[in-house]
Amino acid sequence: MKKLSMLAIVGMFVAMPGGFALAAGTPDTGPGCGLGKIAWQNYPNAKTKGAQILIATTNGSFGTQTFGISTGTMGCTDDGRWWAEQKATMFAELNSEALAQEMAQGRGEHLASMATLLGVAQPQHAAFFAMAQERYAALSGAGELSPAAMVQALNEGISVDSSLAKVALN
Amino acid sequence: MFPHDAVIHIVLAISVLLASPGRSQAEPVIQDYQTELIEQARQTHLADEREWQLLLHYGVDLFGRAASEEDDEGFFLSPRGKFDPQAELDATIAQFFLADPVGRSKQPAQCAFIARYHWLKERLQFDPHRLAPLECGRFDRWRAEMNPQGVSLIFPAAFLNNPASMFGHTFLRIDQRGQTEQTRLLAYTIDYAADVPDGAGIEYAYKGIFGAYKGFFSTPPYYLKVQAYRDIENRDMWEYQLNLTPDQIDRLLMHAWEMGNAYFDYFFFKENCSYHILSLLEYANPSLHLRDRFSLWTIPADTVRAIIDSPGLVGAATYRPSRSTIIKRKRALLTDEERSLSIGLMRDPDIAKESLFASLPLLRRALVLDVASDYLRYKGETDDPEVTVYKERNRRVLTERSKLSIPSAEINIRPFTKQPDVGHRTTRVTLGGGWRNNDTFEEASFRAVYHHLLDPEPGYTPDAQLEAFAVTVRRYNQADRVRVERATLINILSLSPIDDLFRAPSWRVNVGMDTLRRRGCQLCDNVVADGGVGAAMESHVLNREVYFAFAEAEANYSKAYEERHRVGGGATVGMLADVTDRWKLMLSGSYRRYPFGDKSDDIRWYVGSRVTLAQNWAVRMDYNHRDRDNDVVVSLQAFF
Repeated sequence: MKKLSMLAIVGMFVAMPGGFALAAGTPDTGPGCGLGKIAWQNYPNAKTKGAQILIATTNGSFGTQTFGISTGTMGCTDDGRWWAEQKATMFAELNSEALAQEMAQGRGEHLASMATLLGVAQPQHAAFFAMAQERYAALSGAGELSPAAMVQALNEGISVDSSLAKVALN
Repeated sequence: MFPHDAVIHIVLAISVLLASPGRSQAEPVIQDYQTELIEQARQTHLADEREWQLLLHYGVDLFGRAASEEDDEGFFLSPRGKFDPQAELDATIAQFFLADPVGRSKQPAQCAFIARYHWLKERLQFDPHRLAPLECGRFDRWRAEMNPQGVSLIFPAAFLNNPASMFGHTFLRIDQRGQTEQTRLLAYTIDYAADVPDGAGIEYAYKGIFGAYKGFFSTPPYYLKVQAYRDIENRDMWEYQLNLTPDQIDRLLMHAWEMGNAYFDYFFFKENCSYHILSLLEYANPSLHLRDRFSLWTIPADTVRAIIDSPGLVGAATYRPSRSTIIKRKRALLTDEERSLSIGLMRDPDIAKESLFASLPLLRRALVLDVASDYLRYKGETDDPEVTVYKERNRRVLTERSKLSIPSAEINIRPFTKQPDVGHRTTRVTLGGGWRNNDTFEEASFRAVYHHLLDPEPGYTPDAQLEAFAVTVRRYNQADRVRVERATLINILSLSPIDDLFRAPSWRVNVGMDTLRRRGCQLCDNVVADGGVGAAMESHVLNREVYFAFAEAEANYSKAYEERHRVGGGATVGMLADVTDRWKLMLSGSYRRYPFGDKSDDIRWYVGSRVTLAQNWAVRMDYNHRDRDNDVVVSLQAFF
């Protein structure tokens, strides 16, 4: 039923081959500096984290300014380490559904990407996936499936299992 | 041995001697070197070189003058830059000597226009003592965050149900060092898109076509793009690895960085996302001439074919299935019993606790739960009012899934249609002949874009038709008349076969003119607009068949009618069959009643048949019957 309004003949004139994004209520990040600025703005105060981008992605688009090139640094900060740590939380926030599903299924590219962001080396991914599946069962049993809880559970899982020991964050 | 202060005096004296003349002559030295470089650039005609033309996006305007496609004044360092490559080159060299911030991004020219700087530095062999290189920390950090090792071209397939996506889309992904198949989600992309204000309505149409919106480059991470295309819009995606050298990748990134300084007016038909992606690739490797094929419009799928046709440019292609493709393919692996369990789980996850489900082998239980979860996630992304219910059920299904403590089996999902590069091109020319009632004719047709249900199907979204700007000219032999037989402004048809999981409506819209025989008028122009909503189903008796039914409304304007018009509605039923890989059939029958204007009714039959000869060649036969008017055409079609 999604776009029955499309039946309007004008639908065709509205047709945009590629990349005609509707800027959908993205936060006013000023001359954007990418993902990092959103992290920077939203994370210290938690709660709404990335919610606005989620709104934008739900509509299949982002304001082009959100990820503008050269109007700032990608991470919006010179502190590369701070940004490296934020990336995992951002990723979980923006992919929470896929991450939850893949944790429960014990495999998947979002989970593998998460492992990489958390510094788990490639050969340990299978062990990480098994740990994630086990943690998912516990989290959902406790009714706590927020992205932050998932990241925390994965981090704990890594810290108690010496074989998953972190490699240096990139 | 000198006393300490004596040494200091001597050193001071020497430095004063050396420094003071230098200070007073600094300006002239810079001036001299600047003039020297500009002169050298003029003598070697650098402004005429392809790189400079590409860097500044020069083309030729309607009056035959050089003109840049770039529309942001901040992109030019000379006030005449948009129309004068030489003036821009002179001004660029001059600006490299200054550290003042320029452009939208407010950086020194060497950093803001870093691709120009590196190209000119190499071509003119800048002397670092007389033109000191500046640190570009922002660029360095941006590039480090990209961590580039390769570049892939990404093509999300066309999607008729979103006006922004009807012809597909293309963007680039900057593949990261150390990236694997599993972690490519983390790569950044380079995307070009129009910035359309929130809540844009109908004006979006003409503004999009006539360039009233600004287009910008941006770099969202790939996982957000995958979410938008694969999960939300349910579009298959194709990833083509491009063979670029490290040097070419650097050029591409540097140029993308400087494009961050500016916008282009976004033109729906030509200067769209795909066009500017081609520009970037041309600067990365100036020996590529990818845009030459596109003069009036740039269809994303055609640009994919242009890139593929460049020898050696494309490496491996990877398919990334949409969520609905994943569900359909996985569902096909289930037995009837498992399938009904899976559907049961979508409604009531507690079925997982029942003995029937528990009696399945562990791996099968995992698969059945996974299909249920995929479907609930799919429903959770629709605008169904029950979204939260689906999300909650998915959570319960996943809880059961996690308790099984085994990873899901790896399943290779095959696409339902071939990759876009094996598809026909989108402009079509047809030559044919036939009979209409007692006369014979020859005809020629031209269709600007894009795909008809009877065009060769490889590479195109199945069951989706979009034709625009088509005209057919016919010569009737006995009547001795040449006339415009048919014209199409737009003709869209989207069939969505319904099954126990997917229930989208099918729909069609058509605006154009055709020729009718009515009362005393043998060959009369008729302007028609019609549309309908319906449903479709598919079967696999021969190969694949799709059946459809529509309820329709139609309005006509012609002098052949009383009161010059008739308006009404009716219904159409029909089928589309892939008899073999090359032979496709379409049959349909319609009934129309017109209670307004010229009160009347109509019965119509249509039989169409196509045989594919080659990727860009096909033979068609069309039979149209309409109220005692019979028309048969046999034609040869070429796509280019």
